[in-house]
Amino acid sequence: MIVRISLLLLLAALLAFAVMDILVWLAIPVLPHLLTPLGISLLFSGFGLLLITGLLLVTKQVFKSFLDYFSNHQRIQRRLLFIAQKQQEITRLFHLKTDKITYFAELKRKRLLRKNNKKHLRTLSKTINTELFALKNSISDHQFKQLRADHLRYKNSQNIDALLKLQQQITSITRT
Amino acid sequence: MMLLKNWLSQLMVLFHSVKDENLEWQNKNQAQQTKLKHAQILAEDALTAKLKKRSVELEHEISLLKIRHDSELLMFKTKCNQDVKDYEQYLNSLDRLKKSIQGSYTHLPEAVAFTIHHHAKFLLNNMWEATDMEQKMKYEMQLITFMTTVHEDAKLHLEGATSKQLPENTLKLIQQV
Repeated sequence: MIVRISLLLLLAALLAFAVMDILVWLAIPVLPHLLTPLGISLLFSGFGLLLITGLLLVTKQVFKSFLDYFSNHQRIQRRLLFIAQKQQEITRLFHLKTDKITYFAELKRKRLLRKNNKKHLRTLSKTINTELFALKNSISDHQFKQLRADHLRYKNSQNIDALLKLQQQITSITRT
Repeated sequence: MMLLKNWLSQLMVLFHSVKDENLEWQNKNQAQQTKLKHAQILAEDALTAKLKKRSVELEHEISLLKIRHDSELLMFKTKCNQDVKDYEQYLNSLDRLKKSIQGSYTHLPEAVAFTIHHHAKFLLNNMWEATDMEQKMKYEMQLITFMTTVHEDAKLHLEGATSKQLPENTLKLIQQV
């Protein structure tokens, strides 16, 4: 309805401008000057009506959305979505906590293993040292220095496998 | 002027007739419109009630889930702590194994005792760190076989049933790997 009225106003404005043009062409003196403001006001009224209607509609929509947002239905729907998301978070948190417990247990185990390895490395190193010094007089200086250097190198790098091989080497030298 | 007046009055008549028609239609369909509005309100209320019920159910499920998770986490933590304690005991028992080998074989070179201990620890760590269940069982069997062989060799040596000065079977197992 409002659109029809504003279109009618625009049409009336166009008609007024057309009549004004004809009057100017016919060289009639006063009337064009009277028709010009009429045409302009009709044009502005048409557009103004459309604009105001649009603004009112937008305001009405915004207000309606605002009321809908706080309506019972949407509040409960939002609550439901919140609870569903909370459920997913709780499940994810459970897996993360499990991973955390596994990580700390593994850390404790590795600490125990490192402590045990250090203890055995010390014992092994002491034994190798004793055997090496017992062998000192039976081997050349160069060989002794080489074996001692190997011993210190493997001890510093905490390489148990290499120390075991060195011990086996010393044992075989002792036997020969 | 008369033409414009006629034109304007015809326009007004048209305007009023449109309005009358609209009013007539509204009157005719008033019952249906009311029925539709009523049905819409009922449907919305039913949906709201359903959503409310579902949210209450979900909240209940969440509280049950929390309780279940808390108890599972506690059990899992206890299990992990127990596993770490078991591992510590395994390491201590391997230390005792080394001492018993050194005690059983009087002239055993220390290198051999250390090698046996190191190999046992290697098998233990393989078993503990394996992620695949099948592999884990395989390493566990290897460790059990190794420990059994060590004990058997020590027992035979102590009983004097063998003249060998070294735990030969144990060393064979180490060389196989």
